[in-house]
Amino acid sequence: MLELFWLVPVIPFIGFLILTLTFGKLPQVYAGIIGAGSIGLSFLFALLAGSSFLAADITAYSQTLWTWISVGDLEVGFTFYLDGVSLVMMYVITGVGFLIHIYATGYMSGDPSFSRFFAYMNLFVSAMLILVLADNLVLLFMGWEGVGLCSYLLIGFWYTDPNNGYCARKAFVMTRVGDAFMAIGLFALFISTGTLNIQEAMFNAEAEWVVGSGIATAVTLLLLGGAVGKSAQLPLQTWLPDAMAGPTPISALIHAATMVTAGVYLISRTHVLYLLAPDVQYLVGVIGMITLLMAGFTALTQNDIKKVLAYSTVSQIGYMFLALGVGAWGSAIFHLMTHAFFKALLFLTAGSIILAMHHEQDIFKMGGLRKDLPWSHWLFLIGTVALVALPFTSGFWSKEEILASALEHHEGGYLLWLGGVAGAFMTALYSFRLYFLVFYGKKTHDGHEVMGWHLQGPLVVLAILALIGGYIHIPVEAVFPEVAEHHPSLFYQAIMIGLPMLGIYIAWLIFIKGKLDLNKLAGQGFGAKLHRFWYTQWGMDWLYDKVIVSPYVWLAEFNKSDVIDSFYNGSARVVRFCHDIMSETQTGQLRWYAISVAYGLLVLVTIGVLL
Amino acid sequence: MTSNLIIDLMQIIMLTATTVVVMVTAAFKRDHAVVCGLTVFGLFASLMTFLLIKPVLPFAATELLMIDEYSLFFSNLIIVGAIAVALLAYPYFRNHSAQNEEFYILLLTATLGAVVLACSNHFVAFLLGVEILGISLYAMIAYTVHDTSSAKFPLEAGIKYLILSALASAITLFGIALVYAFLGTMGFDEIPAALEAAGEPGPVFIIGVLMIVAGAAFKLSLVPFHIWTPDVYEGAPVPVTAYLATVSKAAMLAVTLRLLLASNALEFNAVTAVLTVMAAASMIVGNLLAVMQENTKRLLAYSSIAHLGYLMVVVVAAAQVENALSVEATSFYMLAYFIMSLAGFAVISAISSSVKELDQLSDFRGLFWRNTWLSSVLIIVLFSLAGIPLTAGFIGKFYIFSIGVEGELWFLLTILIIGSAIGLYYYLRLIYTMMQPPESISNDPAAMQIPAGVQVVLVTMTIAIIYLGVYPAPMINTLQSLSGAF
Repeated sequence: MLELFWLVPVIPFIGFLILTLTFGKLPQVYAGIIGAGSIGLSFLFALLAGSSFLAADITAYSQTLWTWISVGDLEVGFTFYLDGVSLVMMYVITGVGFLIHIYATGYMSGDPSFSRFFAYMNLFVSAMLILVLADNLVLLFMGWEGVGLCSYLLIGFWYTDPNNGYCARKAFVMTRVGDAFMAIGLFALFISTGTLNIQEAMFNAEAEWVVGSGIATAVTLLLLGGAVGKSAQLPLQTWLPDAMAGPTPISALIHAATMVTAGVYLISRTHVLYLLAPDVQYLVGVIGMITLLMAGFTALTQNDIKKVLAYSTVSQIGYMFLALGVGAWGSAIFHLMTHAFFKALLFLTAGSIILAMHHEQDIFKMGGLRKDLPWSHWLFLIGTVALVALPFTSGFWSKEEILASALEHHEGGYLLWLGGVAGAFMTALYSFRLYFLVFYGKKTHDGHEVMGWHLQGPLVVLAILALIGGYIHIPVEAVFPEVAEHHPSLFYQAIMIGLPMLGIYIAWLIFIKGKLDLNKLAGQGFGAKLHRFWYTQWGMDWLYDKVIVSPYVWLAEFNKSDVIDSFYNGSARVVRFCHDIMSETQTGQLRWYAISVAYGLLVLVTIGVLL
Repeated sequence: MTSNLIIDLMQIIMLTATTVVVMVTAAFKRDHAVVCGLTVFGLFASLMTFLLIKPVLPFAATELLMIDEYSLFFSNLIIVGAIAVALLAYPYFRNHSAQNEEFYILLLTATLGAVVLACSNHFVAFLLGVEILGISLYAMIAYTVHDTSSAKFPLEAGIKYLILSALASAITLFGIALVYAFLGTMGFDEIPAALEAAGEPGPVFIIGVLMIVAGAAFKLSLVPFHIWTPDVYEGAPVPVTAYLATVSKAAMLAVTLRLLLASNALEFNAVTAVLTVMAAASMIVGNLLAVMQENTKRLLAYSSIAHLGYLMVVVVAAAQVENALSVEATSFYMLAYFIMSLAGFAVISAISSSVKELDQLSDFRGLFWRNTWLSSVLIIVLFSLAGIPLTAGFIGKFYIFSIGVEGELWFLLTILIIGSAIGLYYYLRLIYTMMQPPESISNDPAAMQIPAGVQVVLVTMTIAIIYLGVYPAPMINTLQSLSGAF
């Protein structure tokens, strides 16, 4: 079945083509069947291919469909590459993607652009699969840009609201900054290793580069630039919360489960390079740690249910970066997978709550919903405990691995561990704040559950995965360098388990018992400032506005009558002027025409004779 | 020997025979459709004789004519052009009140002249060809003289062309006389030997050659002999303009290139210097004049001045590079230009008739929305003229460029780039006009059905433009065989 594995990214693309070429004229039922069915079929082929891949007991398998570009020595194939890491990614994308697609058929039903929605979604899945299955840098970059495009299209899906368009542009431009770095990084990698094939490039780099050399540092930094852009890490994380403008299934699929993990995938795919640049690798961990803490504080202050989840995504990807930084490559991919389960669950459940509340997203206008929305309540609780990493849930296993690896990491690991543990505490605090505010307390609004098999069905599957997903074994040993099993001492284990519990307890004290008057704390003086500081994600947007946007706008204003344009306008004026002079010669008078021929002859003969 | 002679002259014989048949037919039965059909049939038959001629090449048919791959390529091109013009002329003249049949006789004689020109290897044949072609054209240009509502100034255009052509012929003749006085020979390929015998060529010979070149430059409408072009293009009926722009130019170019290459005239600095000046001036002046032009026929006239200027770059380069290469490039560019011009005039002719010509830029406003197919053709043509990739025009320009680089003609190449940049402006301007929203749809001539003959020309030429732009290899292989002539 391995030969059919090229169908995995192709089927969603065919779905996209069908949905596009029918111009939205397809009835919703068929559009839904094609949209979700193509992903389901793709998942099926992924399963078949994956099982024969595992049964064949090989480390990697690649399949060339055709030669894409062939110029001189340069040959770029349309080649897919399957190994442990891309296998896991493929499963997550098609599997979780399939569940989200099913959910979306319910969530989006009745939307006038139903078919367009699924066309974009299918294109997105296809692009993401190309990204993770690409054998060479060019194909990877194509997938990379493809998901960027789809993200833009989907954030601005409800384009009649100008604000959505603004959010889409913001996401596009911010990630574009990262993409520019990444493109340069890819060029540099190509020039110095002489090949576009990822595995060959890794091999050559390992053979030729010196550890800590300039080229290794430069390439890894540039690739990191791309990764932080796509994965919404410091300093390019500001777009992700705005990306919540899209429909909720998008938030689940793109901005939680798949696309934002592309950066994590990129770094783990090129982990060989990072091993050659230890400083940059440590930087990855530091970025992850800072981001996860900043996002945690910000999540604490938000009052939009989707925004809280968005910041928690930023924070969780911070954990993955932290794992990459300490060399726990496998743990990063593992956390990526478990995170995909519980975050998709949380987002989709949030979508159900929003549906039930008639598109109300403010958590302070919810409250006491656990009786009205029993399904959502339990599902959300499962997602939350997995996010908080209570013992034996999926999040627990993956986060535990990451923190243990950080603790063992030779230099600077302890610092990262501290940050990670503090983050775990924050996670518990903001998650249960959200949970308590939505489901407990005084009931202010009535809501009633919107039911349907395609709404609750996928959620139940995801809930089961969020609970037991930690027991899945991911086959990545062959890809990454071997890491010893870490067993931190009991003391550290107690801290890692205890702190989230403490966070929950404090959340309970504050939001259920009302031990602390939050309004008073956040309403005045230093507390208010701090609240505002955190709420505006540490003033990052403000900072960018002041440092980049304002000077740029000023420059544009200053250069209104473009200096460079004046050159072109000037040349146009010269042409116009010459044209006017020339036109004078076309008098239409025969005598002038005849004499001009005579003069012309005279001039030419003179030139000829003089030479 | 004599049978070969007859076979080699088959195209010329067939054309003459067709002329006579059409003339007799028209005398007995005045039927537009019959005459046009006969003409097209005769032209097609004479085109097909190239299959007979091909095996017995090259052949010097008397001292005057040289039938070889090169001349055959150009005569085929000329005859194809004539067929296209006949197809455009039929719907154009259908509503013409006066008698139309004679037009086709003129078309045939003009074509005969053009073919003679393409084959000529001797000053006498050269002059004969020029005059047969020219005299037929005078009448063709002024053909709609009684139709007050048609092309605006056919008579004026005809007279202008007549008088200025006479002037040019006089110059050419004078030049021929000077060359003959010095060398004592009139055959193109006998010139090098005669030159060697005559010793150091004096100013008399140089001036003679320059005057012949000037006469040719007039017909090719190179600056400074270009001034007649826009007036005549505008005044003539569209099919005749198409003929002038394509067949007449191709024939003249064929003979000029043969003359210059066979006589080794390019070895003289004077000749290359004059050609360089004309090429540069044509590229600049032609493009500049077209910039704000409001009449599409004039626009294409100016653009043809510029394009002939581009072609002259190759002719100048022929002094440095191998003959084979410059012949290949010239033929390709001429072919591309031929096809683009025919398609362009076909579009104008599709929305015009002898009763009313729509050639103002404003007539094209919103054409894209009124008749998408027609405007798409014109857009492809304009892209090709501008030299945008995937069109024949791009390959042609690429040829010119690579040969210019090989000949190290940096000055001319700079001018070529500047000229092309200016050119892009007015081509895009026309496209822009077509994309504008239309003013009114009601009783719109462009919405009418396109006549079948015009449609055939449009489809064939469009396919040819794209085919040559995407997959030029077969045509390039054919053209490489042409250079055997030199």
